[in-house]
Amino acid sequence: MTSNAVIQMKNVGKSFGTFQALKGINLEVAKGERIVVCGPSGSGKSTMIRCINRLEKHDEGKIIIDGKELTDQVDDINAVRREVGMVFQSFNLFPHMTILKNLMLAQRLVRKTSKAEARDTAMQLLERVKIPEQADKYPIQLSGGQQQRVAIARTLCMKPKIILFDEPTSALDPEMINEVLEVMTDLARYGMTMICVTHEMGFARSVADRVIFMDAGEIVEEAEPKAFFSNPKNDRTKKFLSQILSH
Amino acid sequence: MDILVGWWDDYFWGSVVVAQVFVCSLILMIIFGLIGAAAKLSDNFIAQKLANGYTIVFRGTPEILVILLLYFGSAIALTSIAQIFNPDIKFLDVPPFWAGTIAIALIVGSYATETFRGAFLGVNPGSIEAARALGMSNLQTFIYVRVPEMWRLALPAFGNHMLSLVKDTALISIIGLNETLFVAKQAIGTTGEPFIMYIVVGLIYLGFSTIITLSVMGLERFGQRHLVSSQ
Amino acid sequence: MSFDFTLIIDAVPKILLGIGLTFQLLVVSAVLGLVLAIGIMLMRISGKWYLSWPAQIYIYIFRGTPILVQIFIVYYGFPQLEFIRESFIWPLFRDPFGCAIVALTLNTGAYVSEILRGGVMGVDRGILEAGTALGLSVRQRFIHLTSPIAIRLALPAYGNDVISLLKSTALASTITLADMTGIARTIVAQTFAPYEIFISLAIIYMILTWILQKSLGRVERHLGRYMQK
Repeated sequence: MTSNAVIQMKNVGKSFGTFQALKGINLEVAKGERIVVCGPSGSGKSTMIRCINRLEKHDEGKIIIDGKELTDQVDDINAVRREVGMVFQSFNLFPHMTILKNLMLAQRLVRKTSKAEARDTAMQLLERVKIPEQADKYPIQLSGGQQQRVAIARTLCMKPKIILFDEPTSALDPEMINEVLEVMTDLARYGMTMICVTHEMGFARSVADRVIFMDAGEIVEEAEPKAFFSNPKNDRTKKFLSQILSH
Repeated sequence: MDILVGWWDDYFWGSVVVAQVFVCSLILMIIFGLIGAAAKLSDNFIAQKLANGYTIVFRGTPEILVILLLYFGSAIALTSIAQIFNPDIKFLDVPPFWAGTIAIALIVGSYATETFRGAFLGVNPGSIEAARALGMSNLQTFIYVRVPEMWRLALPAFGNHMLSLVKDTALISIIGLNETLFVAKQAIGTTGEPFIMYIVVGLIYLGFSTIITLSVMGLERFGQRHLVSSQ
Repeated sequence: MSFDFTLIIDAVPKILLGIGLTFQLLVVSAVLGLVLAIGIMLMRISGKWYLSWPAQIYIYIFRGTPILVQIFIVYYGFPQLEFIRESFIWPLFRDPFGCAIVALTLNTGAYVSEILRGGVMGVDRGILEAGTALGLSVRQRFIHLTSPIAIRLALPAYGNDVISLLKSTALASTITLADMTGIARTIVAQTFAPYEIFISLAIIYMILTWILQKSLGRVERHLGRYMQK
């Protein structure tokens, strides 16, 4: 397993003051694997994936990304961040830049790509998320669903090996959720390693290789989607599923 | 510090004058601000225009100019009125205390107009609707819902207005108000020590500013206690 | 009591002779004050106590005391100090214009640094996190994300401070400078017609304020294009 695991978390713990957000998390993700993480709010799902690209620092255990351990060494963190993309719940596009500039900025500054090349990559990816015509607009002029697709394209510009999704559809109006899920499904089909925190159980069923259920900072249950939905083992999982599937 | 001996009581009485100007101008400033805000929010076209004129004039004119104009201007006006009754009167002086207090209250009141107006408009309309829906009367809604919320919204800017009032008091020394800066000038006349004398004035004003800042911070914490989340 | 218009016609050109000085005071101290403010703001947000404490004390002192007192300390007080008289900056303090610039700069620097800090604090944390996640360094985030957004956020308050500064330049007249207010006060002392002279002067200041407001509004709209749907 170790050989092809791109993410390894060993006994990872994280506290905010006296509140323990993560307790003894063990997780291995293989290359090309698609994982959906669910659980009640405050269960530590977001904290877990934020630790993977070190937006939060874990204070116990080890996290190894593509063979590099996450420590305080600045070079290593930036090297890891180049390989790990992240899509946020609130899109977090740069409001003062056009869509095209949003996609070009990190390529130019971090990857040091030429302007022309950065622009080509950006336009290709805008085609891929099906909004090339919005290239010269500002984020505020786009709908939520379009903004989130831009955010995904922006991440893809960096050619990451792994993409983390932190509730990418939670801030969207219902009619826009599908256009974002379609883009994510498309990514999954091309073999991207993905960890998605989401409550979109339809997406989990059709795309995920594994579903992880977290509660109170722990991984309570993990299973293939079929087994997870039809035959959950833990009582907390059952309760959670009955709550979110009943409506 | 020896040079300061003999001047402490003058500085003390100068500070008392600062406090007096502050209290009087604060009351007037609130009145001017509320009238200005009410006029701007009213449906009356003329009231709106007058209030707009008020804020444009007093926010666009240097403070010192307003003080000079009010002082010399009212002295002349008063003299010419008095001369109607008694042509022998040559010149009637206006107390610098009142000319200055009214001047700085008018100036800061023009800023307070915008603060009060903004606070009134900033109250969440949902809260007002909820109060109406619960059957509260207009007056009850105003007292129990609107005023507490307005107060919280206006407080930070209001704190700055109070600081402006206290600092503008120093300007009134130009027309002869015997506050601390005026005291310092007299002290320099006899001692020839401007540096230390003005530093004392600075420290006194810094003390006033500190008291105001701390009080506003305390009030803000009190006004925001419902915003502290349980987490 | 009557309003003498011939007096105004006579006085306004004389007052306007001081507009150059008013303008110099405004522009020089605004530019120097902005540079100072950026430095103080960076110290304040550095997260290092030995930088942020001095910055906070400076801000506290200059915002907590009247600008007139600051002007008097610089103009009347500093020349009394031996080490200033013997240092290379002495020519600056011997000249009332230099003193006015020093006092106005120090004063506006304190206010503007807090305005800039407000802008920096107002930048959405999520945007910076997105930059972090894309691999941008602290420096790159500050230059390409924080600064442009913060400048736009701080601009309205900064505009108000420039207008305050214009009004504060009038206090230069208290240390013998013949700016517009200084000239007007001299004319009033000669003619004893405060209404005519001071009202004309007030109107001139209001026009200047109006021009400043319009131009800053234009800059705001230009920098804020990305905020319009």
